[in-house]
Amino acid sequence: MLEAFEILTTSGVVLWSKSYAPVGSHVINSLINDVFIEEKVVPQSGPVGGAFPVYKKEKYTLKWKRIKEFNLIFVAVYQSLLHLGWIDKLLENISTIFIDVYKDQLKGNRARISVYKFDAYFEQQVRELEDNTGSFTDGLATGTDDKKDALVSSDNGGPPPPPVPGLIKAQHQAAPSGAISDEATPPGTPDISRTSTPVTGHLLAGKAGPAGRVSRRARKAANASANASSGDEISRKGGKSTPKSSTKKMRKWDADGFADEDDGVVLDYSAPADQTSADAPVVEAVSQDDMGRRTGKGEFVLKDLGDEVHNILDNADAEKGKDSALSGVVGSGFNAIGGFFRNIVGGKVLTEADLQKPLKAMEDHLLKKNVAREAAVRLCEGVERELVGKKTANFQSVDAALRIAMEASLRKILTPTSSLDLLREINAVTAPTTKQQAPRPYVMSIVGVNGVGKSTNLSKICFFLLQNNYRVLIAACDTFRSGAVEQLRVHARNLKELSARENVGEVELYEKGYGKDAANVAKDAVAYGAANKFDVVLIDTAGRRHNDQRLMSSLEKFAKFAQPDKIFMVGEALVGTDSVMQARNFNQAFGSGRNLDGFIISKCDTVGDMVGTLVSMVHATGIPIVFLGVGQHYGDLRGLSVPWAVNLLMK
Amino acid sequence: MSSQAGWDSVSGIATLLLSGNLTAIAIAIVVAFGVPILLHYFFYRAAASPPSSNFLLLGPSGAGKTAFTTLLEAKSSLASKTTHNTHTSQVSTLITVTLPASVPTASNRYRSVNDPSLKEASRNPIKYRLRDTPGHGKLRASQGIAELQTMASSNDSKNKLRGVIFMVDTAALVDEAVLRDTATYLHDVLLILQKRSLGKGRSSTKRATEIPVLIAANKQDLFTALPPGSVREKLEAEIDRVRKSKTKGLMDASMDTADVDVGEDEVLGDDDGQGVFSFKLMEDVGIKVDVTGGAVKGESQEEVGSGVRRWEEWVGMCL
Repeated sequence: MLEAFEILTTSGVVLWSKSYAPVGSHVINSLINDVFIEEKVVPQSGPVGGAFPVYKKEKYTLKWKRIKEFNLIFVAVYQSLLHLGWIDKLLENISTIFIDVYKDQLKGNRARISVYKFDAYFEQQVRELEDNTGSFTDGLATGTDDKKDALVSSDNGGPPPPPVPGLIKAQHQAAPSGAISDEATPPGTPDISRTSTPVTGHLLAGKAGPAGRVSRRARKAANASANASSGDEISRKGGKSTPKSSTKKMRKWDADGFADEDDGVVLDYSAPADQTSADAPVVEAVSQDDMGRRTGKGEFVLKDLGDEVHNILDNADAEKGKDSALSGVVGSGFNAIGGFFRNIVGGKVLTEADLQKPLKAMEDHLLKKNVAREAAVRLCEGVERELVGKKTANFQSVDAALRIAMEASLRKILTPTSSLDLLREINAVTAPTTKQQAPRPYVMSIVGVNGVGKSTNLSKICFFLLQNNYRVLIAACDTFRSGAVEQLRVHARNLKELSARENVGEVELYEKGYGKDAANVAKDAVAYGAANKFDVVLIDTAGRRHNDQRLMSSLEKFAKFAQPDKIFMVGEALVGTDSVMQARNFNQAFGSGRNLDGFIISKCDTVGDMVGTLVSMVHATGIPIVFLGVGQHYGDLRGLSVPWAVNLLMK
Repeated sequence: MSSQAGWDSVSGIATLLLSGNLTAIAIAIVVAFGVPILLHYFFYRAAASPPSSNFLLLGPSGAGKTAFTTLLEAKSSLASKTTHNTHTSQVSTLITVTLPASVPTASNRYRSVNDPSLKEASRNPIKYRLRDTPGHGKLRASQGIAELQTMASSNDSKNKLRGVIFMVDTAALVDEAVLRDTATYLHDVLLILQKRSLGKGRSSTKRATEIPVLIAANKQDLFTALPPGSVREKLEAEIDRVRKSKTKGLMDASMDTADVDVGEDEVLGDDDGQGVFSFKLMEDVGIKVDVTGGAVKGESQEEVGSGVRRWEEWVGMCL
């Protein structure tokens, strides 16, 4: 069953939402974070061949549709266990209807504050699509139909009586539970809801304690207000004609008593239409013929709403057909001339055909900057997705628009989600502010392919730390290649000399010779560092080919034994297409739950402006670049400056 | 006469207009009376439409910026008093908000309570514009900071920045990582403002107009929320740490070509990084920092938006 449906703007405002079960707002927030902002998750199209991309979070599956023209996002949330074939259709239809109905309001500047009374349309669509599929929800549907029938026939006697004012207030207090009582349990016969439980096996089983309490309250309320609730039923049917004071919000209940009652929503067995009954205090006397008709099943359907919705959908289809028909001989000639002028003057709505050639040029440009093909293609696809359907600004050519979009895209990919401040992190670990944490050395380890400069960059980091007066222990865990320990020894000697001369930090080398297991040496080094009050332990590892499973598998043990606070991978700026696989394989080598923490791109001084490796590596993993090696000296280590990198790439 | 009065030649039209017939007189009257009215209409509308005071809303993700904007928007609209729910923003938005008439403004500071012009002001309340920015780490540089830089440096009176509201989630501030993130962002914001005020002061005799900063300690309705005073202490201590490690940190890759000029501009506060940082130091460089508590949500029984009253008062004092 559908859990929730939301219509939100890119500026983060929920214009309209409907939830059948409480779905935490973090679910949709993480969709926005992971897919739209960080682009961590590559949206995959649905397994059943659905048209819309799918995102999975916890037990929910989210499908969404973006309407760029109005900056709207339509999101449908449902349980991952279920395969709802009609979600695609629902998204398509709802987006069309919503935009058609509220076109004027969306265009105006008050779009964010207007109230969208969209419930009736939505329910109509859900009901229709569910009926069409005629699937597992049949049992549920008939169950609710019966109940509705009972309710509707019971109040056939005349216009519904005005609700008792005091009662409405009480309902308002316990809004969710009130809603349940009105819809799910007909007055006096609360057992029906229980019997329908096995039929709707996919529904959440409510928490026993609060649920029981809520339903008791609900029953009480329902018993007290048999007439009022049926009045509400009518008002819900009336849909458009009755003013709804407010729609139910997905309220975040705080730490007060209302949280339990919120849980009670899972008791909602008659899934569609749990929403509007709690409010609508004013009920107009509406004659039944005006409102709708009864179907063969006894279902009470709005008369005009269905027709209106169908009209809207048909119109949309017809327009689509017209568009394709117009691109005939005459149309294309006219469009070509218009497009040519618009290209100069601006104000042109971009299409895929417009972008094809400039995008190809842009892709070539990126490839020339040493960006891996995979990354370049994905960047271009992202930019294309961004631009298609957009209007260029005045006097802006397609190329200029593309360039701006690409720059923004590069900037977004390179900017880290949270900036790393190494010194402060070290301080937090070695001198914790709270009493619970015992001070311990900060452990960093460096991994990478052979010959990329692991030891060199390690000594550069060591030099930087020494400048800040830390006591550093270098652990030589390359027990494999001959000469590796001696190399580090030379670095350690140099650094010791330098630090002694400037009277800054201290450095020591921890070595255990060759042939030992690297993970054990690392573990011993950390223990040694902790015992001797070192601030930082830097672990050098053996270089390994990223596609050699035998060598890579030892990294998992290494991460488990040494427990490094940070694992940095060194990559050369010289490497081309291989950078993507390197980054990806190393990122996965540490087992589940442990990833790389950052990249160090070495040898940046040797490539000039061809710094595409930066983009390739970040693109492959979503892990930020922390340092750049820009020379042969110990001091030639730099932080990443995003504007600098973007400038070089776009030059 | 070669050029007869007629519509077939240019000289003919000129002659026709100069001869005293009825059409010419009518055209002359329309032009003479119409042009001033039209001119007045255009210029008057262009000048009056947008309010010229802008405020920028910054802060980390999840602090309640968008919720605050929607609340203000709903409050200032006459029709609907309901606020929409919010999610993480991806783009920044500019909204026009009316200041409630009950909030005093700085320009009316010296007026008597009985001043009739105050009544006049309450009938057409002051409007200001508020720009909501996304707080996500990846979008800060491109939208929040960039917006701040353009708005702070623009001389155009329409874009003039009157104040910065920095929204902080006080309930989450206990968490070390959140505090660090918040303080780093606030540090960057204050550094930009300081550079602006010092840079302008040096080049010309007159100092740049002040841009005050309000640290809006949001979510005071929650049980775990820190009080504003404690928020202030925590942020000051953390910014001090940020400042220290920034001076010691590595240089950017872009710095190596340009001459290395780490002057006092790069250090927040005017004590060159000596001593302990406090928001008092910012006042010496012309940036007033206030920390005020409030709550966008909560207090359901009271009137909508009563929790943001003190922030609105701060906005009023900037106008």
